Amino acid sequence: MAEPIHLTLLFAGGAELLFDRVKRRDVVLPDLKDYLPDCGSEKWTVRQLVLWIREFLLKEREALFLQGDEVRPGILVLINDEDWELCGTMDYELQNKDSVMFISTLHGSTSVTSRIELYTP
Amino acid sequence: MEQLIILENEIKELRKTLKEKELEMERVRRELFDAQPEYRDLNNGLPASANGPEPMVKCGQLPKWAIERYSRQILLRDIGVKGQTRICEAKVLIVGAGGLGCPAAMYLAAAGVGEIGIIDYDVVELTNIHRQILHFEQDENTSKAESAAATLRSINSRIKITPYNVQLDSKNALDIARAYDLILDCTDNVPTRYLLSDLSCLSKRPLISGSALKMEGQLTVYGYRSDTHSTEKGVTFRGPCYRCVFPTPPPPDAVGSCSAHGVAGPVPGVIGTLQAMEALKYILDMSPQKLLVERMFIFDAEDMVAKTVRLRKRNPMCAACSDSPTITHLVDYEAYCSAPANDKDLDLKILPQNNRISAPEVSQLLKQKEPVYMVDVRADSEFHMCHIVGANNWPIDGLSGDALEQLLRCVEKNPSSVIFICRRGNDSQLAAKKVLDMLPEEHRHKVKDMIGGLHAWAFKVDNDFPVY
Repeated sequence: MAEPIHLTLLFAGGAELLFDRVKRRDVVLPDLKDYLPDCGSEKWTVRQLVLWIREFLLKEREALFLQGDEVRPGILVLINDEDWELCGTMDYELQNKDSVMFISTLHGSTSVTSRIELYTP
Repeated sequence: MEQLIILENEIKELRKTLKEKELEMERVRRELFDAQPEYRDLNNGLPASANGPEPMVKCGQLPKWAIERYSRQILLRDIGVKGQTRICEAKVLIVGAGGLGCPAAMYLAAAGVGEIGIIDYDVVELTNIHRQILHFEQDENTSKAESAAATLRSINSRIKITPYNVQLDSKNALDIARAYDLILDCTDNVPTRYLLSDLSCLSKRPLISGSALKMEGQLTVYGYRSDTHSTEKGVTFRGPCYRCVFPTPPPPDAVGSCSAHGVAGPVPGVIGTLQAMEALKYILDMSPQKLLVERMFIFDAEDMVAKTVRLRKRNPMCAACSDSPTITHLVDYEAYCSAPANDKDLDLKILPQNNRISAPEVSQLLKQKEPVYMVDVRADSEFHMCHIVGANNWPIDGLSGDALEQLLRCVEKNPSSVIFICRRGNDSQLAAKKVLDMLPEEHRHKVKDMIGGLHAWAFKVDNDFPVY
């Protein structure tokens, strides 16, 4: 069995509003083979983490966090305080004790995740 | 009391006269500036050595007044006489005279930046003043750009301040930006951020971008180019632009949400102040490693945590800043982002006429002791500020699952109208629509949305109700 992966998840800039207003969570990921036996990957990457977050942590308004399986534009993902573009975005292989931050960009009067999407014209 | 009113009126008159005199002085100064640019030359004030006796004191490159005035920053090793000269010659464009623009402009003016342009199309409201520190009570309903310029002039009369009382758009942006060396993004909406980023790429001016909301702030420098940076001319280092980091605009927000987002005044204060710091560092020609290039400063006032994270590098294929960009002129950014370039509310109309009711009609029902049930859908913090007596708080944010079920039962049980209320009458329609969609036909006629929300209530029914 693989060593368990402990992560610090951080939500900021309004993204925490989708997660019960909790800004920091320390989590332990289950064995990937138990969680997603058919995902074709041996190791946890950000791709599976996002699915796991959607299933277990995301409380409301999924569309403000994800578009399909992708993180919504306007949310910056930082792995150990570095833009995830610098380490492979969705394919980054998570390591024990990594911190992953989802931060909504602010625009002054609104943050990307602060508005309510009840009505679609 | 009578004496107080007399004094208030006298002061009002004096202020009016003062304002007229200040405007006149500014006009005369402008004429002087334009006729003889040496008027604000740094050497102004030095005795002309050709005519007068040889001076006994050498003041370096700066005149006496500048040494005295700026001494506390000239003493810094990173500034010195050379740096102060650069500051005095710099031209900075500040877009937005709000929570970020005010402190940024204040520090840049005080530091002696030679020319400051400040753009804002809006007027001062009392709700702005807790964070927009260049505006005062007597400036209410006057142009923010003008009000900011007036305060900046009283901070430093040695510099040139140009207010632009316009909405920056793709038609006027390039002409305005051309007169400046760098741009500060102190705005509050997505379309303007894309406009400013493209403007920064096209005009080759760096963009110092700040934002603040609630208790959080963010700050970074976009569009940095070493080829316009004197110490590294010929080197081709360039930082990312806004589009490199955010290639796709976020999907448009729900139309006309009424929630008034709060912000703690000191948060834009901190971010705007640091924007001024980055601007000064850029003017002083400090290396990009020291600037927030490829880095973003993130500030959380609630936990009092600040950190600087590493951003991606410039995208060599970027549509705006690559060597063969596909964006070669400014476009319509409101259409591009499907969002308005201001923070003003929209008017939503999504309900049938028979599900709407005016504020005076609601007031009439209440006076007749009709057993109406009032559903106020604002956030609890807003509800606690003020609400109509008897209203019940059902925050729209939580209106799903069990809460929505409970509300449906409430509507079904209530014998009379159920009135949906919010600040401006948009969110209440969204909430009413949500309820209508799930309500059995026979109860639907009871659902009424109060047109224009509490703003309409304040104007048409109860002038004592606060408008916020």
